[in-house]
Amino acid sequence: MAATLLLEQAFNGLQAGVTLFLIAAGLTLVLGIMDFVNLAHGVQVMIGAYAATFLAALTGNFFLGIALAIPFTFASGYLLEWLIIRHLYRRDHMEQVLATFGLILFFNELIRIGFGPASLFSNLPPSLSGFVEIVPGSPYPVFRVVIIGVGFLCALAIHLLVAHTKIGAMVRAGASNPDMTAALGVNIKMLFRLLFATGATCAGLAGMMLGPLTSVEPGMGEPLLILSLVVIIIGGIGSVRGAFIAAVMIGIVDTMGRVLLPVLLRGFMDQAAADGAGPALASMLVYILMAVILVVKPTGLFPPKG
Amino acid sequence: MQGAKDYLRQLAVSAPGLWVLIAGFMVLPVYTSFADLPFWNDIAMRIMLLGMASMGLNLVLGFGGMVSFGHAAFIGIGAYCAGIANYYGMDNGWLQLAMALCVCAASGFVIGYLSLRTAGIYFIMITLAFAQMLYFLFVSLEKFGGDDGMATDRSDFILIDLYEPLRLYYLILCALVITGIILSVLVRSRFGVTLQAIKSNPSRVEAMGLVPFKFKMTAYVISAMICGMAGALFTSWQEYVSPDIMHWTRSGELMIIIVLGGLGTLTGPLLGAICFFLLEEFLPEIIAWIAPDYAENWMIIFGPVLIAIVLFARGGLLGACSRLSALARSGGRL
Repeated sequence: MAATLLLEQAFNGLQAGVTLFLIAAGLTLVLGIMDFVNLAHGVQVMIGAYAATFLAALTGNFFLGIALAIPFTFASGYLLEWLIIRHLYRRDHMEQVLATFGLILFFNELIRIGFGPASLFSNLPPSLSGFVEIVPGSPYPVFRVVIIGVGFLCALAIHLLVAHTKIGAMVRAGASNPDMTAALGVNIKMLFRLLFATGATCAGLAGMMLGPLTSVEPGMGEPLLILSLVVIIIGGIGSVRGAFIAAVMIGIVDTMGRVLLPVLLRGFMDQAAADGAGPALASMLVYILMAVILVVKPTGLFPPKG
Repeated sequence: MQGAKDYLRQLAVSAPGLWVLIAGFMVLPVYTSFADLPFWNDIAMRIMLLGMASMGLNLVLGFGGMVSFGHAAFIGIGAYCAGIANYYGMDNGWLQLAMALCVCAASGFVIGYLSLRTAGIYFIMITLAFAQMLYFLFVSLEKFGGDDGMATDRSDFILIDLYEPLRLYYLILCALVITGIILSVLVRSRFGVTLQAIKSNPSRVEAMGLVPFKFKMTAYVISAMICGMAGALFTSWQEYVSPDIMHWTRSGELMIIIVLGGLGTLTGPLLGAICFFLLEEFLPEIIAWIAPDYAENWMIIFGPVLIAIVLFARGGLLGACSRLSALARSGGRL
């Protein structure tokens, strides 16, 4: 029993991890390549979740909703970069933090006006709401397996895109020397804008998949944003591989901590107190991990070369 | 004696705006009691407390160039020092303050020592991480109210009877004045000048045989203590403490206040705090006047205002003021 429970939680951790990776991937590329701290990245998660929930309800089809929400989040990221973000690349980090903080306030309020402060809930279609037995005897939700699958596919796609395509080569060239790359005839501004929009879409996709698992509400992106900042710092800024490893690590540490800590705490305090303190202490675990890693390796585990 | 007088005059001249604002706070209660607006005293106390904390953060952020995104943690530690002391029946306000200062100095030392090994974006994030860690620590402490926080008894500042409504107001004002004096002295001292030199060129300072790390650490610990003092007084004022006081958005708020007023100036943070909370008070009313249904959605205006400030108002309100006065002096020619 205990072993299957642990295994199930490990899968949950993996699912949380790949979701975090989807959010962190865009963040790490934008930060690593454009040196831009984007606190408003969590907003994209929220936009994705709302778009998918709304469009799914409108069309009556979950898959169609997601299919329509993906171009929508891409467009929103493209527009945001064009309107605001591109004016901030040359500013210092603190100004970027403040301006994108302003964006968070704006978008959370916009959603609150548009959809109300209450959470939206969405139902999974029957084809995704079943269970599979990965381990005989313990049913596991199909949807979470799908999320893990989609996350891995996206990770692979991003890796191939950045490391093995011409566009990826241009992006990497642009990162190490934007002026020289522009002089070679690459439209670097457009490249960055598309990269930003792609990152926004990945974050939006994470939001779409989280929608049916959690509540879709204004401000839902910020806790995820902070966790994905932790992920990219641990992984090394600008490193997609680092982000993936760190995301899975954080996902598993966080999930397992939430399950195991209360059990451990019950050993030396009463059950109610342990159940209360466990999850909060588990939330601390992630930050403790980050602080330890930064103290030992001040530029993260896998700082990109060059 | 003469020397001391000169020194005081120099201090006053170094940040005249700060002392004007403080004088304003000094006479405000007279106005509010005549106009029968006691509600404004409460807002003024809030402004003074967060202004004080911002002044503390500004030492690190503005003068030292270290972008700490986790200073709300020290406000929280200070607030919980007072709150927890109260929980165990120690309601002596002075002891609570002393405790908050000591604990904040110690935690500022530890967090600063670990964080200052990193730089740039990593420093922003590690300070945020420590703040989150402490936030979740206090959320997990069910004994002290956990998520919901706990109500505290009125702190007892011996000799100062807080049942008299305005006593706490002037106590907070005193703390603000002390903070102002300490910071003006510090910024003008050898230490402050070195700190600012480190901000603009650390390697040169190092080449002169000084150790930048020590100066940064000292500034970090002092700013943590100032935030802690604000936090402890916050508990006395609210008679309530919850993890909300150290939510990460509070760290953002402090940064907004500083940038709004003027980064790296003595007057800026207090001016920024005044403007920030006046905006918070009046923006909903202005919106209610135009579109009554959306009064509570004032953030939708505040967000873009913030972006505009970052994009267009270099140097914050103080910078805008000095540009305006330069314009006036030059007779309208740019």
